[in-house]
Amino acid sequence: MSIYSSVASNTMPNRVLPVLGCLALALVWLLDLGVIQPNRIVPGTGHGLISAVGGPWAGLVSLVLAGCVLLSFLPLRRRYLPLLGLVGLSLALLPLLLEVFAGRHLPEDAPYARSSIGAGFWCLLFLLSLMLIEILGRLGSGRGLQLMILAVIVGNWLWILRGGGLESLSLVREFNARPDKFEQALWTHLALAFGAVGISAGLAFLLALKMIRSVAWRRPILGAVSFLQTIPSLAVFGLLIAPLSALAAAFPALQAMGIRGIGWAPALLALVAYSLLPMVRNTFVALTEVPESLADAGRGMGMNERQLFFKLKLPLALPVIVEGVRITTIQAIGLTAVAALIGAGGFGSFIFQGLGQAAMDLVLLGALPTIALALLADALLTMLAASL
Amino acid sequence: MIELKNVTRRFGDAVAVDRINLTVETGEVCVLVGSSGCGKSTTLRMINQLLPHSEGQILVDGNDVTAMNPEQLRLNMGYVIQGTGLFPHWTVARNIAMVPQLLKWPRERIDERVHELLTLLDLDQATHANKYPQQLSGGQAQRVGVARALAANPNILLMDEPFGALDAITRENLQLEMLRIQSQLRKTTVFVTHDIDEALRLATRIAVMDQGRIIQHDTPENILRRPASVFVENLVGKQDRGLKLMSLHTVRDLMEAHPQPREPEPGADGLKEDDSLRVALSIMLWQNWRQVPVFNADGQETGTITRERIIQEGA
Repeated sequence: MSIYSSVASNTMPNRVLPVLGCLALALVWLLDLGVIQPNRIVPGTGHGLISAVGGPWAGLVSLVLAGCVLLSFLPLRRRYLPLLGLVGLSLALLPLLLEVFAGRHLPEDAPYARSSIGAGFWCLLFLLSLMLIEILGRLGSGRGLQLMILAVIVGNWLWILRGGGLESLSLVREFNARPDKFEQALWTHLALAFGAVGISAGLAFLLALKMIRSVAWRRPILGAVSFLQTIPSLAVFGLLIAPLSALAAAFPALQAMGIRGIGWAPALLALVAYSLLPMVRNTFVALTEVPESLADAGRGMGMNERQLFFKLKLPLALPVIVEGVRITTIQAIGLTAVAALIGAGGFGSFIFQGLGQAAMDLVLLGALPTIALALLADALLTMLAASL
Repeated sequence: MIELKNVTRRFGDAVAVDRINLTVETGEVCVLVGSSGCGKSTTLRMINQLLPHSEGQILVDGNDVTAMNPEQLRLNMGYVIQGTGLFPHWTVARNIAMVPQLLKWPRERIDERVHELLTLLDLDQATHANKYPQQLSGGQAQRVGVARALAANPNILLMDEPFGALDAITRENLQLEMLRIQSQLRKTTVFVTHDIDEALRLATRIAVMDQGRIIQHDTPENILRRPASVFVENLVGKQDRGLKLMSLHTVRDLMEAHPQPREPEPGADGLKEDDSLRVALSIMLWQNWRQVPVFNADGQETGTITRERIIQEGA
């Protein structure tokens, strides 16, 4: 039954792809593909598709999108494979458009001039990605194929970047101005986010166990971690400055460890506080929802409570616990960006610097890797949960 | 042997089991029967101390259960429950191997034992060993449940409404399977059910329970012939008591045996030695037979039986 219906739906006209394709076609023509700035701060002049990359390239882009729309209408059984090739290739080669744009428009004699990415390019990137996701879903592809395609696309982008044609791109310039700082920000960001997740996972596990063992502790613990979650994140970062400064002043040993009112210590504390609710709730619910009849059977067969926990309850609860870790990790990666406000470092520092200097591409240099990290963590942890 | 002496269990102020005395001899099947809430499951769960008793004494092979380590006690008692209680993240083979693994048997011995039990319970090793419980039918899952209980060869088997959730045909098959396995293994068994027919079929002795007390503890035949109270009489059913009595005996008990088994005439119809008198009478009425040959398990004719004899002496 399901086989027949899936075959039928494979030959039926796809409704999602034409909508996305037409939208991409319209937006890429209507919006600016790229912007040329005479220097870092001054607003630049935008260029539409034809003006940006010239007639042949504009024609190629339109042709590819129109081809995708047409192909998704045809009642062919195997049309999703050529569609996958077309969209995947377009995504992989997308930065070439920027290279062509820079080559055509950047004045030779202006060393401060730079090109930056316009709304049209972002829309094209976004809509093509959506189309790729839709095609992969229709193909019913496994995680292996999905990861491979992602690796090919990202690898191609990096290859194009190394080629040097994008030197003038504002984003690349911002990066090239501070490669050391970027690497440092990456490690700080990872250390803060994953450190917080690790610590709160351990803590949440202990709290959940306490809640399971004694009913009296359930409401106070859940209440406390829920309360922590309701405080606005900026306020938590701010509120921790005073007590930690006092602590550091009182105990020089703490100060020697680098614990101060600002910096990594309050950031880590705040991140842990925020991570507790989803972790505690998921761990507690997962462990308590193991059916009592199974525990009864295990006990009746002669398992002691330790064996019951490690052989029955924990394995059955693990997927839900990992789901809690996934939610928390994504949240922590995002919040770590905010923690830059109190001097914790990480990609957030680029965002706030960029905002302060009105340099939007510096903001992007902080925001894009943060998003990429969150997506990567999401994919990896989803895979982990699925494999359990 | 299991002995319960003046055992009481209270939940708060409510008395679930009220000063019961019960002895289950080694190798016999004791069926606790009664309506829900009568204390039969509570009684069973006190034997393996999943519920501690409030008063009285419970002895297993002469030893007080409260003096034993509860895990050690339960490792020597097979336990089968209604919902099977199979671990959903373990394969059939691993589920069966649970107790041997807890007892740290060597790998080869466990594999050998799992294979043995799959064969005993009529489950095919190749198709079932690596399946997960949710891939099995209800009947297959409960077979695995029984195999798991038998895995470490315990002396005692505790079964808490094991076939309660199965359809009538599957339940009957498993009951017959139980009888076959019990005739081979002779485990001391305590079996809880609310189904009087199941009790009559499986029990060596039946303990009828009501409101936490044992009303009557006797063989199925005596329960049917001499019910101790109106409650028991209603439980066994007044009208079809005769037929129920007939189902307690087999054709073997009433047949006219030949001096020695002989080869049957080709194409001859007849009954089997192990058919119950109830089944025999039903077949003879339907086929309008007055006298038929009886065959043993090997297909040889071992005697004859008449309709008159069943009607006169069957119940």
